[in-house]
Amino acid sequence: MSYENKILQMKKMRKKKPESEQNAEKVFKKPDVPTYAKQWEDAGLKRIDNKFGIVFLLEKHYSTNYKHGDFYLGELYNAFQLWNNTEQKHPLALENDNNLVFYDTETTGLKGVGTQIFLNGILEAEPGGFVLKQYVLADPSHEVAFLWESKLWQANKTIVTYNGKSFDWPQLQTRFTLHRKDLPKLPEQKQIDLLHGSKRIWKDDLSRMKLSQVEEEKLGFHRIGDIPGYLAPIIYLDAVKNGNPSTLLKVLEHNEYDLLSLITLYIQTTKLLCEDIKKESATTYTNIGKWYGDLAETEKSSELLKNVTKLYKSDEAGYAYYHLAFQQKKQQLFEQAYLSFKSAIPFIKERQKIIALIELAKIDEHRNKNYEQAIYYSQHAYKLVENSIIWNDEIKFKKLREIEKRIVRNERKISSPGK
Amino acid sequence: MISKKKTIEELLQEWQANPEMQDRVEYVHTIPPKPAKLVDFPSKLHPSLVKALHKRGIDQLYSHQREAFEYAINGQSFTAVTPTASGKSLCYHLPVLQAILENKASRALYLFPTKALAQDQKSDLNNLIEDSGEEILSYTYDGDTAPGIRQKVRKAGHIVMTNPDMLHSGILPHHTKWVSLFENLQYIVIDELHTYKGVFGSHVAHVLRRLLRICHFYGSHPIFICTSATIKNPKELAETLTNTQHQLISQNGAPTGKKTFLFYNPPIIHPTFGVRRSAILEVRDLARDLYNSNIQTIIFAKSRVRVEMLVTYMKSLTAKKIQDETIRGYRGGYLPSERRKIEKGLRDGTIQCVVSTNALELGVDIGQLQACIMTGYPGNIASAWQQAGRAGRRQDDALIIYVAQSTALDQYIIKHPYYLFESTPEEARVYPDNMLILMDHLKCAAFELPFSVNDTYGEFEVQDLLEYLQEEGILIKTSEKWHWMSDSFPAHDISLRSASQENVVIIDQSIPAQTKVIGEMDRYSALTLLHEEAIYLHQGTQFQVEKLDWDEKKAYVREVDVDYFTDANLAVELKVISEDKSRQIGHAEVAFGDLMTLATATIFKKIRFGTHDNIGSGPIHLPPEELHTSGTWLSFDQPENWKEDDLTGAMTGVAYAMNSFIPLLLQSDRSDVHVVPQVKATHSEKPTFFVYDRYPGGIGLSERIYDLWDELLHHVYEHVKSCPCQNGCPSCIGAQDISAEGKKQVLTFLKTILLAELDD
Repeated sequence: MSYENKILQMKKMRKKKPESEQNAEKVFKKPDVPTYAKQWEDAGLKRIDNKFGIVFLLEKHYSTNYKHGDFYLGELYNAFQLWNNTEQKHPLALENDNNLVFYDTETTGLKGVGTQIFLNGILEAEPGGFVLKQYVLADPSHEVAFLWESKLWQANKTIVTYNGKSFDWPQLQTRFTLHRKDLPKLPEQKQIDLLHGSKRIWKDDLSRMKLSQVEEEKLGFHRIGDIPGYLAPIIYLDAVKNGNPSTLLKVLEHNEYDLLSLITLYIQTTKLLCEDIKKESATTYTNIGKWYGDLAETEKSSELLKNVTKLYKSDEAGYAYYHLAFQQKKQQLFEQAYLSFKSAIPFIKERQKIIALIELAKIDEHRNKNYEQAIYYSQHAYKLVENSIIWNDEIKFKKLREIEKRIVRNERKISSPGK
Repeated sequence: MISKKKTIEELLQEWQANPEMQDRVEYVHTIPPKPAKLVDFPSKLHPSLVKALHKRGIDQLYSHQREAFEYAINGQSFTAVTPTASGKSLCYHLPVLQAILENKASRALYLFPTKALAQDQKSDLNNLIEDSGEEILSYTYDGDTAPGIRQKVRKAGHIVMTNPDMLHSGILPHHTKWVSLFENLQYIVIDELHTYKGVFGSHVAHVLRRLLRICHFYGSHPIFICTSATIKNPKELAETLTNTQHQLISQNGAPTGKKTFLFYNPPIIHPTFGVRRSAILEVRDLARDLYNSNIQTIIFAKSRVRVEMLVTYMKSLTAKKIQDETIRGYRGGYLPSERRKIEKGLRDGTIQCVVSTNALELGVDIGQLQACIMTGYPGNIASAWQQAGRAGRRQDDALIIYVAQSTALDQYIIKHPYYLFESTPEEARVYPDNMLILMDHLKCAAFELPFSVNDTYGEFEVQDLLEYLQEEGILIKTSEKWHWMSDSFPAHDISLRSASQENVVIIDQSIPAQTKVIGEMDRYSALTLLHEEAIYLHQGTQFQVEKLDWDEKKAYVREVDVDYFTDANLAVELKVISEDKSRQIGHAEVAFGDLMTLATATIFKKIRFGTHDNIGSGPIHLPPEELHTSGTWLSFDQPENWKEDDLTGAMTGVAYAMNSFIPLLLQSDRSDVHVVPQVKATHSEKPTFFVYDRYPGGIGLSERIYDLWDELLHHVYEHVKSCPCQNGCPSCIGAQDISAEGKKQVLTFLKTILLAELDD
């Protein structure tokens, strides 16, 4: 029977209520313990009872010598040291902060109030190593107990996530808002989102920014028997519907990998940002150089980009020259900028090439007063724009008109010098 | 061509001297101007608002505006009936702003049926706020709202203007991000209430139930303020829609200018068959006169195709001018940016003539148009007045020309012009009881907030239905509550607007490297308008459908230049599934219940522009569309001495006329219900007429017909009898073959069989 027919068969079940007011505000009532609580305990989950109900916990400890992929977890402390030793300001910079929380959730859906968090994975430092606490929602009615136990509502934490700024944290806020009658307000915590950092560092170097791909290519960690994240909702629903948690434990393992990788990703990210050039690609270091440039750390940016131009072959260093040129221009080092743009041009893509040619023309016109040369670069740019398929006609004409103006102006300067 | 600026008065005088016009204009009606009914400002009105009103030259209020203010501040939900240009927006702006000025935490939500209306009202409201010198934040929130300011709208917007669709899928499912709105929501304003009818209205009724549920969760109990065009049952509609009791403001204090109505009937070109000249061609000629007289005009046409045909005809007036934009089309299916441009052109006067479907019936502010032409009767009185209201906003003279088509309803109106001026307008009805709609929104509601085991939803007891959703694996029941337990997002699968949930996207592939989407269409319409080889018209440009990918719901079109358009036939099969109620009328039996229908597009015809000759045809190969709906049917005994062919012919004629008259009895669009005659119905083996709602689950229209069969058939008989044609014509029983005695048979059938059966 089609869905529609089935629904229409149910007409008899549709009833109207008599006119009366809905029952008003209710006081909190502890929900019943799910029937499968014992089964989950037997599977190794610890039952915690609090004033709002129950929540399950899986706790695991790691020493600082624990190796995950290419890194020891204890290297996190070296990372803090590295930041300590640099003068630059950087959004990822951290100090040895006791309230550092690596955080990752698993949810029953992607968005909206109907999506619940069913796993709060929290990885924190403890004396001698690290502790992983995975809180599992006992069933949807025990959500308040689950949220309370996470202690994420306690102030002054720094939350480190992968895509947490736009996913995990807003989800958590939604859940706290929904239960705001019973729970304290979730404070604004300091957020470090390593997805953002990865995007800046490995743009054009990694094809996708999925954590599992970053792990494999940059952190030396390979997952074996991992369940794909998109199955997590169905697995949880299944565990609640039939009480059997065995597959759910695979989700916990997945979440554990994610959290351990967060630490090593932070370590690796810090090294790339603070240490000298080692084995990563020219693209990666160029990205980092550009990032410092965008943070107005001009010196650091120039230094790094200059090193890329020295250490890598010129065809790999095109973009390093290109971004370096802008830093030099900012520092009023026009001669150097001019040379950098020239070195960049053979090895960069059309869009940047056009920009570089115009920049050369500008320097020739305004600094070098070499109007013939300015015209030469402008004409070169003109030809590229003309044949380009990057823009639609309207934008293209606008760009061509601008270049035309530049050419005409330079021609005038040649024919009537001094004006 | 000489064009000379004329006033409406001058043009009318010119037409009066023209014998042809004298012949065709069957009736002229003038409504004299009406003075304003003014009262003083309420004493409580905040000084800043008084200041803002003074600044706009307003020293007194219209009586209905003050009445609205009093109801609102006394905490009473109300509905105000407000014709076009009667200053309706002050009915809600004043109490809303007053509340915010008294308490800055206070919030209001404005709902408009379309995005365009919300954006339009925003500038109006912002001007008023600016004049008050107060800092009150109002924002539109819709698909166009930039991500950067969404956060600000949610947290700080005093007044949020949106549409039901956005509320349904963009706000309610994310209510935790809107805490400051829902905690402090004092007013919910519903503008253009009358547009919330039928399927769309029934959906919106549920969206509002969900909205109230969320408000109660956050502890607010908002008041509803509704404004409506003139309909028969504004209070009842508002109450059903909002599930809240309303007061009614029916007296309007705004002034109106002089309005002249012309009832224009195209000349008969074939007396035997009663065939009149095409209304579209007449409209073209009338519009040309108005255009040449420099009178800004809006032309209403009923279908997208007609809009496009008229635009094509009208644009020939300006063909010699380069890039002339003074004539434009306007209808659903255009992209928003295109529509904004047209609206602006109308306001600033660069567009002289606009051809529109009923999209512009709504209060989109396009400034003052001087004349309005209705190509055919829009189907109900309320719409006719809405369209007429487009001409002569404020106190100017206005000209409204009604051009009748050959259909039964149109001809009825032109013969009985007083029907328009003296009858009460129709009812607008919603049917929140539709099971499919109810279940759709119950899912959304369960997603938004868990139901407890003794909760109700709106006026519905829903525990049994929740149980069903648990069986379906969508909900899970714990000791206290039903929790959403699925990774889906229900609001995304539910569209408030169209009967079929999926639309067909129209892709222009004229330039292979630059294919682009130029519009979309609902599935049911696509069967007959986007089949392969169909000519699809968009902004007066013809496109041929080259490929219709029905699985992917994509139609690929290419620009063509041909002298014809296409028209397709739809065959419908019917099966009775259950009979909920039945009764005898005389010897006939009428019943109401569930029906299954199967619609198949069969063939299409190519019809030449101008002459409207049939110049070719072809088959359509598309899978049938299934529809489970509610319907009513009338069966009677097989009459003696009637050949099956004759009976088929007679019943087809009666069905044709019935189809035309149902919109007269109910306020419905012609396309909302369907009439199908069967000489031998499958379920009873008897001759039967079926009337059914064209929406899954039904929308309560055919249920009303169940009570009105008698009235409907008498109406049909009277009309066919009084039609001046000899053998049947498009105005009564539909066009007939030359030799047939169709009309005589229909009349005999009606009188000796059908009505005899009823009256016995």
